[in-house]
Amino acid sequence: MKRLVRLNVNGFEQEVAVAPHHTLLDVLRREFKLFSVREGCGIGMCGACTVLLEGKPVSSCLLLGVLVADKPIVTVEALAQDGRLHPIQQAFVDHTAFQCSYCTPGFILTTKALLEDHPSPTPEQVKHYLAGNLCRCGSYLKIMDAVLDAADRMKDQA
Amino acid sequence: MAVGVSVPMIDSQERVTGTIAYALNAELPGTLVGQVLRSPHPHARIVGVDASRAERLAGVVAVLTRNDLVDQDELFPYFGPVIRDQGVVAIDKVRFVGDPVAAVAAIDEDTAREALDLIEVEYQELAAVFDAEEALQPGAPILHERFPAISSGFADVILHLDEGTNRCNHFKLRKGDVEEGFKQADLVLEDVFRCPPVQHVPLEPHVTLAQVENGRVTVWAGTQTPHVIRAQLAEIFRIPLSHVRVVVHTLGGAYGAKCYPKLEPLAAVLAWKARRPVKIVLTRAEDFLAVSKHGVTIHLKTGAKRDGTLVARQATCYFNAGAYADISPRLIKNGGYGTAGPYRIANVHIDSYAVYTNIVPAGAFRGYGISQGAWAYESQMDMLADELGMDPLELRLKNVLRDGDTFATGETVHDMHYEELLRDAARAIDWQPAPPSPFEGEGLGVRARRGKAITCVIKGTVTPSTSSASVKLNEDGSLNVLTSSVEMGQGAKTVLAQIAAEEASLPLEKVAVSEPDTDSTPYEQQTSSSRTTFSMGSAVGLAVRDVRRQLLVLAAEQLEASAEDLVAQDGRVAVKGVEDRSLSYGEVVRKSRRGNLLGHGSFVTQGGLHPETGQGIASVHWHHATAGCEVEVDTETGKIAVLRFHSNVFAGRMVNPRQCELQTEGSTLFGLGQALFEEMLYEGGQLTNPNLSDYMIPSFEDLPCQLTTRIFEQPGVSEMHGIGETSVPPVMPAIANAVARALGVRITDLPLTPEKVLKALAEAP
Repeated sequence: MKRLVRLNVNGFEQEVAVAPHHTLLDVLRREFKLFSVREGCGIGMCGACTVLLEGKPVSSCLLLGVLVADKPIVTVEALAQDGRLHPIQQAFVDHTAFQCSYCTPGFILTTKALLEDHPSPTPEQVKHYLAGNLCRCGSYLKIMDAVLDAADRMKDQA
Repeated sequence: MAVGVSVPMIDSQERVTGTIAYALNAELPGTLVGQVLRSPHPHARIVGVDASRAERLAGVVAVLTRNDLVDQDELFPYFGPVIRDQGVVAIDKVRFVGDPVAAVAAIDEDTAREALDLIEVEYQELAAVFDAEEALQPGAPILHERFPAISSGFADVILHLDEGTNRCNHFKLRKGDVEEGFKQADLVLEDVFRCPPVQHVPLEPHVTLAQVENGRVTVWAGTQTPHVIRAQLAEIFRIPLSHVRVVVHTLGGAYGAKCYPKLEPLAAVLAWKARRPVKIVLTRAEDFLAVSKHGVTIHLKTGAKRDGTLVARQATCYFNAGAYADISPRLIKNGGYGTAGPYRIANVHIDSYAVYTNIVPAGAFRGYGISQGAWAYESQMDMLADELGMDPLELRLKNVLRDGDTFATGETVHDMHYEELLRDAARAIDWQPAPPSPFEGEGLGVRARRGKAITCVIKGTVTPSTSSASVKLNEDGSLNVLTSSVEMGQGAKTVLAQIAAEEASLPLEKVAVSEPDTDSTPYEQQTSSSRTTFSMGSAVGLAVRDVRRQLLVLAAEQLEASAEDLVAQDGRVAVKGVEDRSLSYGEVVRKSRRGNLLGHGSFVTQGGLHPETGQGIASVHWHHATAGCEVEVDTETGKIAVLRFHSNVFAGRMVNPRQCELQTEGSTLFGLGQALFEEMLYEGGQLTNPNLSDYMIPSFEDLPCQLTTRIFEQPGVSEMHGIGETSVPPVMPAIANAVARALGVRITDLPLTPEKVLKALAEAP
């Protein structure tokens, strides 16, 4: 049986009918049409379905939709403001830090959380923090460049 | 100048905002969810299928089984790019664990899944065979008693198949006299090398949305081969090509996995039965059952003179094709001639077989047969160097192909850059010319040993081949490129836009590149074989030149000048030497009242190999890459750390240097996973690790401590070469050779797991 759950997604609250076994990934794609959230493995290994839950990166394929009521959820759709890319997004563009880009939203959101925890990360910290996001195209070196550059850009802005 | 510049990808915005229209997102009103029932047996005859209970379940719209496909004339129920050996669903037999037996279209996923459980299938189990060499033995279980139809449709495919056996093709190469060659040799090495099947793991799985309406079939598919899909669906539905439409958006990774029909026939026929649109998305576990790289066993015998000159090579390659032919009949050709390596060898004798077995079908995989051959011949080159007491680099430099040499196929090669590439790889890892000996590492003291290696490979691009493109010059002077090349992360759209912008002398911002849509974009053979930049790039260039000719003729009339006196540059047509007599491209189009100008270009290459000798033209030009690496091996744990890895590749001329780097880095990591841990594991025909927990792919933590690349160019002299995969094959033997140099032990079957390292150490004399 589906039940009504109030979800707080990208700053908007909305009540949706959710079956108890449906994951947050299912709900975000089916009910909210947020297609930046993508299943890669379905078991929390690849990070393609990463969203920020109360600011922390989580695998939305491992969370049930009914269990995240009222907690703020952010997807990459909400990062650009007034048509301007977030500095992390812009750094990914400038460094071509992607190939097929299926994993890119997950990398960008995890980077956002990383830079909140470590505004000036070392390359080792970047590697460690982003190790749960997989890029099968192997764009890691360019992602590293983009993340370090984004950290600089965000410090300049702050 | 638009070519040669690292511009950001032209579709960057949608990549970072998450709005790419992957097939995964495609939906039509009333779309049903399709799910697939799969065989639990590796080999069985289907006695009967009863779907009546599933059909009665509320919310189920259609169930497709063999009962819909037999004794009817409306559909031709088989597919396969060369041999039509695969039923839309299994018709008489199942041939691997995971073979589709039935499919359900229902209003939602939960209902579809429940319906699958209600389908009753009666099987009569048959003996199965999993190893390619065993499958060729007399008395082995036969997978395909007969082939429903054979029609390659590919100009380069030579067929030597043997109905009633498991041999689905045999490629032969005969150059010189191999027996005589071995007689001349001072040293002959004979070894057997193996590598397992591995999976592409594109993060976006296979997806198809299909609609059958008004006598037309439309699919939105994640495919690298829209025109092949169109042809196969037209054959299945017995309708003209014009009545099939294949639409492809950017793919979330492919690496060969999305070549040739996979899900499309099943989704389309299910939509036909349901009379509603149906979408099928494979789960990760199912995606592992869609296709794999070929596992292979290669018997390699090479003869050399005392001074290191290679004089003879004999190779017998058993490519495990799995249950269906897919593109194996073609792949074993590349895997066959490729095993000769980038060396000048007068006497070469190669037999390469594609063999049916009861495992997941193998198909195109980044490297396309070259990885398997290179694993064997580059491993053996280092073994040969050790036997001869030669520096492995010197041995390679002595034999490597140079301009004017003949390759194993008898064709003369030009534009060879191996010497430059090998020396670059050596420099990158501080290669020492002295015969290397194992030495102890610094970090782990006596436990660690370090070793270095250098490898090189040669790879062709599919020849002959055809690409065609159209361009549309609009009334505001902007340009649309209409192409069926598939964007899958390699940056095809950006590269083709750069080529078009340069040819048209327009700013990049004025050029847009289409998505493939077979209703409106011209024919393209395939997006694979590292051919898009070269082949489609050439077609786009021709199309722009065609439109420019028209532009100049029209402008000549409008400017009252002769067309020969005009120059088209920076978006304007001007009379040479008279600067104020000029019109913008847009003005010319508007004044002409043509609406737009259409240009067309077709790029067709010639070649082909003799069916009995494999002599001829295998490739219009040759891709080459080398690698250098240094590893550190922990002798207590068997773990291999890659300290330094350097990949280089010859690109002729780079269109977008940063994208070239990305492709080369990506290829290197693709190889690294295969070298160290990737392997599809089977137990009794059942794949046991179809998930990203038990089948690992490289993460950030698997990066070599230092990873560098270098792309070589010769602008103005060389053709543009594709570089999408040439850097994969050198990786696996480079790491194995470095490990061998560190430990003094040789591992001949991939991957190089810690267990194998420890076992090899324990067994070392």
